[in-house]
Amino acid sequence: MHAGIMAVATSIIRARVLTFCAVLLGSAFGASAHPHVFVDGGVSFRFRDGAVLESLLVTWRYDAFETLYILSSHGISLNDAGGLDEADRLELVRQRSDWPEDFDGSAHLVHGDQPIALEWPRGLDAHLVNGRLEVTFERLLSTPLEMRGQAAELGFYESTYFFAFTITDTPEVLGPETGCAAQVIGFDADEDDTELQAALAKLGREETPDIKNVGALFADRIILSCD
Amino acid sequence: MRLILGVFLAMLVLATLFFGQEPGRFTVWIAEQQRGFQNQMAGAVQALKSGQSGAYATLFLATGLYGFVHALGPGHGKYLVGGVGLGTRIATARLLAVAVASSLLQSVFAILLVYGAFSVISASAAQVTGFAEDVLTPASFIAIAGVGGLLIWRGIKAVWSGARHDHGHDHCGHSHGPTPDQVAQISSLRDAVVLSVSIALRPCTGAIFLLIIAWQMDLHWAGAWAVIVMGLGTAGLTGLVAVSSVAARRMVSASTLLDVGRGKAGGALQMMAGLLIVGFSLTLLRTLY
Repeated sequence: MHAGIMAVATSIIRARVLTFCAVLLGSAFGASAHPHVFVDGGVSFRFRDGAVLESLLVTWRYDAFETLYILSSHGISLNDAGGLDEADRLELVRQRSDWPEDFDGSAHLVHGDQPIALEWPRGLDAHLVNGRLEVTFERLLSTPLEMRGQAAELGFYESTYFFAFTITDTPEVLGPETGCAAQVIGFDADEDDTELQAALAKLGREETPDIKNVGALFADRIILSCD
Repeated sequence: MRLILGVFLAMLVLATLFFGQEPGRFTVWIAEQQRGFQNQMAGAVQALKSGQSGAYATLFLATGLYGFVHALGPGHGKYLVGGVGLGTRIATARLLAVAVASSLLQSVFAILLVYGAFSVISASAAQVTGFAEDVLTPASFIAIAGVGGLLIWRGIKAVWSGARHDHGHDHCGHSHGPTPDQVAQISSLRDAVVLSVSIALRPCTGAIFLLIIAWQMDLHWAGAWAVIVMGLGTAGLTGLVAVSSVAARRMVSASTLLDVGRGKAGGALQMMAGLLIVGFSLTLLRTLY
């Protein structure tokens, strides 16, 4: 009898040790942290002829660490004032203007149910602003869109969520008498989102999530509406 | 030692209470902390570049904390250290030494890798990160799985020889091969070195990035020292796990009148620890492909 109790007690304590092990091991899956690059910024809208949407002006602002890594990977160093020499800045613009093949643009415009085709980025510029690399560029709509009495939605994201974009700049409506307004709808995480983000955080830099277009799930959005 | 286990368990309980409603928040929280420390490092690097030598303190503080928080993440050998602490009769001091040595070795390895690649073969930043992630990371997981396999093998031998010794009682006064106790120990210097190297083989991405930046910005020494401090931060957490796991095993031994880590029970526990280590290493390895 006594031996039986001992065996039960031992197995309970073993189970506790195993739980402890599991907790310890469980935390092994922590944070190599997908997404890997965090970008603040925003999108403004350029119109012509009243409410004809012609192009999107996109701003990206990398965080300070990523900024230094990007500079280093382009073989560029800060100057002794902690800034960028003009020659280096131009070299950076030249190198960044060569967009990777799989670039998906970070600005995703939808009108009705239809995604609106955008041209390849043009007019890239780059500056160091308070220790952060700021990149701006323009994307023309393949076919300009008459927005009078219409609304469209823009998602600010990258589909694989390697880059996490956040809208921090107020969107501007550029052009005379467009009758349009842009309103930011920030991403609001619920519990499921947090769990999914945690699952994604386990992915390393070389890995791509299985979920297609996962970045769209966490996107800040802009609603553009015109009278 | 029990105090440290107490602190460690209290941290676990607090974390559970704090993040219990949504466990995912913990992972997200770790990621946010790392980001914050990385940006502090970047600020310090920029300050150093513009001649503010006071920025060393910021740099070392940020890298030390980054190392500690980053060690909550995967692959830093903390599960190997914990598994060994729970499953074998290793002494606290030795396991602590393994934890600290492996973290520092990891830093030194990262410095040699990055600075060596830049100065000797003029590698590009992308080549260095690529090598670390495509070659060294899986190599480290395989090495750690190997150590797990070794634990399983020794556990089996311990159980097997334990069974034989139970029957034989060894009347004739000479030894028939190793006793379960001898088999169940990870005690030799060689074992400690194998443990440390398998952990250290995988440099942490944050360290590599910082070294690449430091090299490019001509802050070689600052970068190297910062990464050593990062290793000390990592050692802080891994050391906590080392001391806690040995204390946990001893408490279980004391409360069950069963010397866990000794004899057949020890062999079985060692096998279990080995299986868990192999399982988790292979899971981590699988996520790479």
